[in-house]
Amino acid sequence: MLTRLVLTTLTVGALTAVVHAQDKVPLALDLPKPLFVGTPRPISLPNLEKPRTGPRPALMVPSGTTLISKGKPVTSSDTFPVIGELNYVTDGEKSGADGTFVELGPGVQWVQIDLGSVSTIEAILVWHYHSQARVYYDVVVQVSDDPEFKKGVTTLFNNDDDDSSKLGKGKDLAYIETNEGRLIDGKGTKGRYVRLSSAGNTTDELNHYVEVEVFGKQ
Amino acid sequence: MSADAPLTRRWMPWVLMTLVVAAAVAVRVADLDARPMHADEANQAVKLGALLETGEYRFDPQDHHGPTLYYFALVPAWLSGERSLAALTETAVRATPVIFGIAGVILLAAVAEPLGRRTALMAAALMALSPAAVYYSRYFIQETLLVTFGLAAWSCVVRTCHTRRATWALAAGAFVGLMQASKASAPVFVMAALAAWLIVRRRDSPAAGNKEVNANRLLPLVAWGIAGFAAMFVCFYSSFFTHFEGLKDAFGTYAVMTTRVAGQGGAHDKAWWYYADLFWWHRRAGVLWDQTLFLGLALGGSVASLALRDRFARGIALYFVFIAVVLSATPYKTPWIVVHLIPPMAILAAWLLARIADHRVAKIPAVLVFLLCLGLLGRQMRLGVFQYASSERNPLAYVHSSPDVKKVPALAERAPPGPVKVISEEYWPLPWYLRERSEVGYWATIPDDCDASLLFVSADYAEEVKGRLKGRYRQGYLGLRPGFVLVTLMAEP
Repeated sequence: MLTRLVLTTLTVGALTAVVHAQDKVPLALDLPKPLFVGTPRPISLPNLEKPRTGPRPALMVPSGTTLISKGKPVTSSDTFPVIGELNYVTDGEKSGADGTFVELGPGVQWVQIDLGSVSTIEAILVWHYHSQARVYYDVVVQVSDDPEFKKGVTTLFNNDDDDSSKLGKGKDLAYIETNEGRLIDGKGTKGRYVRLSSAGNTTDELNHYVEVEVFGKQ
Repeated sequence: MSADAPLTRRWMPWVLMTLVVAAAVAVRVADLDARPMHADEANQAVKLGALLETGEYRFDPQDHHGPTLYYFALVPAWLSGERSLAALTETAVRATPVIFGIAGVILLAAVAEPLGRRTALMAAALMALSPAAVYYSRYFIQETLLVTFGLAAWSCVVRTCHTRRATWALAAGAFVGLMQASKASAPVFVMAALAAWLIVRRRDSPAAGNKEVNANRLLPLVAWGIAGFAAMFVCFYSSFFTHFEGLKDAFGTYAVMTTRVAGQGGAHDKAWWYYADLFWWHRRAGVLWDQTLFLGLALGGSVASLALRDRFARGIALYFVFIAVVLSATPYKTPWIVVHLIPPMAILAAWLLARIADHRVAKIPAVLVFLLCLGLLGRQMRLGVFQYASSERNPLAYVHSSPDVKKVPALAERAPPGPVKVISEEYWPLPWYLRERSEVGYWATIPDDCDASLLFVSADYAEEVKGRLKGRYRQGYLGLRPGFVLVTLMAEP
């Protein structure tokens, strides 16, 4: 009797569940359709707005830290830049106007600064291109004593989250370029060469550098 | 050419014309889907998708041009078996302006034929490789259709004058009707052509037009022309007799257009020399743009048409001057308008070189200048159409979408099932790239419930949207167009 009662209860329960399941239908969502508008307006004003409110927090460095990259030789994966010269990277001109940036080809490209001797690096400040809101993809900043970057490589910044540049997977966040540049903590890393890599940006597939400043002690 | 002329002389123009058309085809179809969709192309392609799926079209007098583009674009879509917006491809969508662009090159040769075969061939070759003509023949907007219908109308009017046949008058009117059904600016070009024709006729002696129509025979031909015009106008603007409100809207669009083109300080207002500057030698962010030789030859041809008293060439020159002045004086300017200047410029440049080549000593220099001009146009076309197709430094790529937008379909495919939300002040061409997803919503302001499987949010809205999200998301960036960055947020399991 008990067995029959249990079986009956289970059967009724199962049937109820089936009936309820059959009652279910996909929830229809009424989402707004795209509005048909005219030709988008050209953006002519340079985007110099700071996305963060308030000043950038100061990076604390040992006293005696100075700019050690100005005028130092620059090499690149793209030996014939599309626009500009490689020495623009360390010439101290960072206005971002036409004629102050170097443009490298599409895909993964790097620039490398030779500090001349092994140095203690406390900070690196980089401006890719800040006369327009852009995000550069797969930005990787490394330091090494090896000009080929095959050994003794220290990575200071890496936002290549899927390792598409084959320089290792990074956890840093991508960011929108502004006129204040991206400040990267050098953490007192020792090395002679600083290499900065990127893989295109949100506007086009090319790579740009207005200026790179390396601060430390030689 | 006489029937007993050597076979090679009789066939050579056709061989050369075949080569010109082959070149026109090659540069218009190569890598047709490579350039990302411009916001305007995407917008119109989505409307085409709706027409394809529902068979319905309503002329929008506010933000859209005429109906011809959508109806003609149905043909390549049907032929390629694409029956819905999701199935549409860039190649099928752009096939329509491509076909009209090629037809335009052939029609230009027909229009220039009265100036001699050499002129017709050279003019067709210049238009075949003209950077603007090629670029906008691969661009899903109405401009190339308008140019081609204009050339067809011109050709039919000339034949009407010569044959006095009602069929040519009917066809001429029909093509003017198709011009009107392509873009509301059509009357500018029709009036310019009419004014040029009237001036040229008035300045010539009556004996010069002995083969042309006289006033007694003009009225029936005009009536046939009006009938052809009305037929096309009514068919297209009434959405083929399904929406007669469209006929009223076809006139109502002029109120919108007047405000837009005459408005001071509008977003698309530019200096009067903007169109001339597109041809003039200049650098844009390191890339050299130069069609000065082509411009110089066209201007030289205009001046020569007055000096040499060639009535037909003078008519073309007047037409060129009229539209150049009107377009330059209008504050509202976009680079695709420049395609209207290419046919008269090509004819005038070719005609000048052909006249120079009439002199035995100048024949070789004229040929060399023509080849140099063609080569320079070809180089500029390669830069503008292929190398810098969507780049800011390309003067023809106006407020163009970034190559980044082509990543959108892959992003949408990776996203988990569920709604996709686009929350941004601007979002075109995203509706085109998200056309395969069924649940996609678009907000120009931030909604209360922001959670979704995938979000595209403008950088300005990003912080506020992120503050309203309840789930976990993986963040990325995507460029919509130069200077406009979107934050992408994909739901994590």
